[in-house]
Amino acid sequence: MTPLLTTVFAFFVAGLVIVATGKNPLSTYRAIFDGTGLNWFFHVGSHSIGVPFTSSHVWFPWATGSEAAFNLQQTLIQTTPLILTGLAVAFAFRCGLFNIGGNGQYLVGALVGIQFGVWFAGMPGPLHVTLVLALATLAGALWAGIAGFLKATVGAHEVITTIMLNWIALWLGSYLVGFNGPMQDPRARLGGAGVSRDIAKSAHLHVFWGNPLLQGLHIGFLLAVAALVAYWIILNRTTLGYEVRAVGFNPDAARYGGISVARNYFLAMAISGAFAGLAGGIDMLGWEFNLDLTVVSSFSVGGPGFIGIAVALLGRGSPVGIFFAALLFGALQTGTSTRNLNPSVFQPELAGSLTGIIQGLVVLLVAAPLILLAWQAARKPFRRKDTGS
Amino acid sequence: MIARAESLEHRSFWHRISSPRSIGIAGIGAGILALWLALPPVTVRTPPGPVALGVVAVAAGIWAFARGERRLGGGAAAAGVIGIAGALAAMQAQTSNLSIVFTWSLLIAATLRWSTPLTFAALGGLFSERSGVVNIALEGMMLMGAFFGAYGADKTHSWIGGVVIGVASGAALALLYAFFAIHLRIDQIVGGTAINFLAFGITGYLYNDIYGNNGTPSNLPGVPNVRLHWLGHIPAVGNFLDNSIGAMNLMIWIGIALVPISWFVLFKTATGLRIRSVGEHPRAAEAVGISVYATRYAAVTLSGVLAALGGVFLSIGYVGSFGENLTGGRGFIALAALIFGGWKPFGAFAACLLFGFSSALAQHLPDLTQNQAAAWPVLFQALPYVLTLIAVAGIIGRAVAPAADGQPYEKQ
Amino acid sequence: MASEPRVLELRGITKRFPGVLANDHVDFDLRPGEVHALLGENGAGKSTLMNILYGLYHPDEGEIQIKGEAVRIHSPKDAIERGIGMVHQHFMLIPVMTVVENIVLAAEPTRARVVLDYAAAREEVTALAEQFGFAIDPDARIEEITVGQQQRVEILKALYRHADILILDEPTAVLTPQEAQELFGILRNLVDEGMSVIFITHKLHEVLEVADRITVLRRGKRVDTVPRRGATEEGLARMMVGREVLLRVEKGPATPGKPVLAVEDLWVLDDRDLEAVRGVSFEVHSGEIVGIAGVDGNGQSELVEALSGLRRAAGGVIRVGGEDVTHASAHRMLRLGLGHIPEDRHRRGLVLRFTLAENLALHDFDRPPNSRLGWLFVDRIVRWARGLLQQFDVRGGGPKTLASSLSGGNQQKVVLARELARDPLLLLAAQPTRGLDVGAIEFVHRRLIEARDAGEAVLLTSLELDEILSLSDRILVMYEGRIVGEYPPDTTPEELGIAMTGGRGRKEVAA
Repeated sequence: MTPLLTTVFAFFVAGLVIVATGKNPLSTYRAIFDGTGLNWFFHVGSHSIGVPFTSSHVWFPWATGSEAAFNLQQTLIQTTPLILTGLAVAFAFRCGLFNIGGNGQYLVGALVGIQFGVWFAGMPGPLHVTLVLALATLAGALWAGIAGFLKATVGAHEVITTIMLNWIALWLGSYLVGFNGPMQDPRARLGGAGVSRDIAKSAHLHVFWGNPLLQGLHIGFLLAVAALVAYWIILNRTTLGYEVRAVGFNPDAARYGGISVARNYFLAMAISGAFAGLAGGIDMLGWEFNLDLTVVSSFSVGGPGFIGIAVALLGRGSPVGIFFAALLFGALQTGTSTRNLNPSVFQPELAGSLTGIIQGLVVLLVAAPLILLAWQAARKPFRRKDTGS
Repeated sequence: MIARAESLEHRSFWHRISSPRSIGIAGIGAGILALWLALPPVTVRTPPGPVALGVVAVAAGIWAFARGERRLGGGAAAAGVIGIAGALAAMQAQTSNLSIVFTWSLLIAATLRWSTPLTFAALGGLFSERSGVVNIALEGMMLMGAFFGAYGADKTHSWIGGVVIGVASGAALALLYAFFAIHLRIDQIVGGTAINFLAFGITGYLYNDIYGNNGTPSNLPGVPNVRLHWLGHIPAVGNFLDNSIGAMNLMIWIGIALVPISWFVLFKTATGLRIRSVGEHPRAAEAVGISVYATRYAAVTLSGVLAALGGVFLSIGYVGSFGENLTGGRGFIALAALIFGGWKPFGAFAACLLFGFSSALAQHLPDLTQNQAAAWPVLFQALPYVLTLIAVAGIIGRAVAPAADGQPYEKQ
Repeated sequence: MASEPRVLELRGITKRFPGVLANDHVDFDLRPGEVHALLGENGAGKSTLMNILYGLYHPDEGEIQIKGEAVRIHSPKDAIERGIGMVHQHFMLIPVMTVVENIVLAAEPTRARVVLDYAAAREEVTALAEQFGFAIDPDARIEEITVGQQQRVEILKALYRHADILILDEPTAVLTPQEAQELFGILRNLVDEGMSVIFITHKLHEVLEVADRITVLRRGKRVDTVPRRGATEEGLARMMVGREVLLRVEKGPATPGKPVLAVEDLWVLDDRDLEAVRGVSFEVHSGEIVGIAGVDGNGQSELVEALSGLRRAAGGVIRVGGEDVTHASAHRMLRLGLGHIPEDRHRRGLVLRFTLAENLALHDFDRPPNSRLGWLFVDRIVRWARGLLQQFDVRGGGPKTLASSLSGGNQQKVVLARELARDPLLLLAAQPTRGLDVGAIEFVHRRLIEARDAGEAVLLTSLELDEILSLSDRILVMYEGRIVGEYPPDTTPEELGIAMTGGRGRKEVAA
């Protein structure tokens, strides 16, 4: 209940900001909503849909070729990495760790994804994709594993180390794809653009909904959903998950139970990083196909890693919650994009910033369920609480 | 928080390796090595190796200095500077003496420009964390200062108005953060992240709404430079001094002055003693009648003021305009500098200078080496973070951070 | 008597906590220039009473008079202003600051109202220290000085604030015997200078050494106030322990078998690297319960932690079934057949946010039949848990209930179920009935006897003498990290009480 109320409240406050700058919040939100493609679900009619791998068609209540459908595909494409970075934050949380380094892990995964997507161009598609995604996942795991290792061995606080690793990854990426960097596309050198080579066709993720040429929804989305299931299974059905949760809830009791706390700190960070690294790999193979310097340098405050924190907090660490939280922020990104938001109603640039405000408020308020208590306390005279001796 | 060791399974080994003493000695070694590489008969013509070694030496020196090994640390820093100087001199050997002077004054001026926003923010973080509140929202507070500084300067047609409004915006954001962190006791990392989102959103929104595609006006009133003509008349070094610090922005001087002032306030006044006691052991402070909440509110607000000053300098002292996300992560470098400098004013300032220097190198090395095609100078931007990562990894069980840093305090 | 002046008088102080009557109409008074000891077992209500006096708690009933004037004390600040100083058991000192800084904090001498006048502060502190005969380096940082010196800093802190009533809460708990002697010297100086001291303790010999009058508390009530003259260890011990009906448990004679646990000259350090266990040697045989009696903080906790692999031994040898396990991990000890009922079920014994089933699997989740190749057989774990919960009569929830939602007694039954169901070779039961009601206590006791009769070797530590006496086949008394004697189970509580508190009672040489 709290997440829902928080979200509503955040939108309300953001609405006040819109009013304060002389615009109509209702029509603004309506325009953003229409841009997200979520209205697709309301356009029920009589349509048909092709059954995959056959030529037969079956009746389907929704039109799969409409503009709303296209927008929805974009929203789900944006949702995909957010599910994974949300999982990254949530998994570490379960072990009592705060992985604030999702951006760095995502970037490392993306860089590895690009490089190996460019190499091995002759490989059969499924094999190539599997290889590249596995390596991207591994890269994210190793990057976060550094923080986990330092936590486990010398007790270095993971918040500091993951922040540092974020920035190291960011500058590393800037170097690699930036001007004259080793991964820069040679054809872009003359124009001075910082962008990597395009990955090989064989590394592209299969598009299962929409037109592959018009950025349809790729199977990376299904992988993210599978990751949600994997997250739940690892935590609740494996000894590893048992250990991670025990350490997260009560390290003393875990030690008493014969569990190695240090080992779990390392593993939890590595798995957490694996999710974020996979997110980077999927984005590269699914729709970006190359890595642009502007994307890299946009990660200083925003970026999937930071939004992942909002997703994990809003989703309360449950797979279903994370899915819907990621969908919310993914939809906001699509709905406020230049392409999807009608500029005569509301400027997309403004809407993009509005997203930042909403994210900030959501995180702030979800993290402080005490707000109601505080409200009550403020109205009553302050009373000292006696606790037992 | 933060740098406290939590599980110490190989304590003695790490202890030896990471003691300030051995780090300081290693720093001196690195500095000497850098110089040796740069001088005949070796004379490495490309500077990155010796320069990087020299920077490492300086870093080791600062780290050791901030942790009590003053003589060794100072020695390592000096050796590092000599190493860098030698490297750059060797590189410039074919060119004239004049250009060596020019190179150095250019680098020094750039270093001070880069490090000033960091200094303001790091000092802000210093007060906040010394009172026990971790502040990763420095970035957001800087960003507020940067935008509102430009906005205020534009609206009041005066740079003073810009400074006042910028500072007020930073303080307001800090107060909001303080309320959540102190009264509501939310996780300070989560809260700081949220505040950064908010600042990013608010400044972006207002910037786009008010200035749109045209950007801030080009005639934005800026903080004036301080012109020191007399420097040029000093024999021998006059030209050099004039080129490097002869026309620095007023806020650079203020930033430098704030370092000893902060040190004095924290370590030589009764107020400073109380702030530190709240950050170390809030219950003990409360037991002798100090209000933990009030102290922390004041310290966090002050951190917002200082961080915002850093942002103000960026927009109307240095760049002369505002653009979305102008601070670009400088708040995080400031945080790194604070940690690297051992939560001490002079240590943090030295780290800011070093980090500013590495940014200046990243920017100017392609020009200096006359190799415009080189991509690697960008990597110098990552240096602050690599160094801090190493430093954090090396701090073993040393209570460098204030003991209660990051722990919400609940009144009894 | 009534005409004598009082600096402090507490009348009818009553304080209730949820489920506990911590102070029940307690009267207490303090004369100028005396040391008045407040004596009682753990949980007798001593600290509560003093926390009320210091403004940390507020009494539900009763009156406080200071120098004849009725006062209300809302906060430590009020107390300080009334001239009350308190030295807490856990010092309120800032480790990285100097002695001077700690003492003058929040009452600093200044120049121009802002600049800390360290020289003046140093002078004042030095003068104060000299006046009362303290030897202390004013510029040393707290983390560099000994615990005994830290305590002097705490006292100086109170003196600097012009306290004339000084409360010392278990001041010798953290001191070595020599340091304790020095403290007593300091207290005499303080009294000579006109201070009045309240001395909280549960160590009898200290009371007889330092106090002028002694007030004994038991279960929140004042038993009596007596002058030192004429007081004896036996008399005080009887007042402290009382004459409650002992919870005698039906049990047959023990039939000890082979030694299971053998400890030789074991040394263990505590969290602050001080020696908590100093050269302890003993054996526990199968089929017997060995009880370790002792006042809290005399090394029992560290001993048990070392035996269970949770704390490194600093010296000596631990053997289980003849095998050297001195440096074995907790995991290895569990595999060797250790059962361990930890003394704090919330800190260690349970993961409160785990379900009961998950908690019951805490030691064995990682091996068949609970799991195979990393896959958890949740059904089997739940089924196993259901059986155990029934067998151990755990009420208030099923296998999928969170542990945090159970009552304390039922939580302890869950811990007991887990440890006993493993059929351990060696069972460490550390304060197994702490905080339980009578019914639950009986249950736990019965189970421990059953474990013994099933041939397990049981090592019991407890702060409750009754428990030790009614369960143990042999009793070891621990005092200041050493085993100071071995006693048969028919020893009187008084005799044990004297040994536990460092008294000079009859000692039998350990076998």
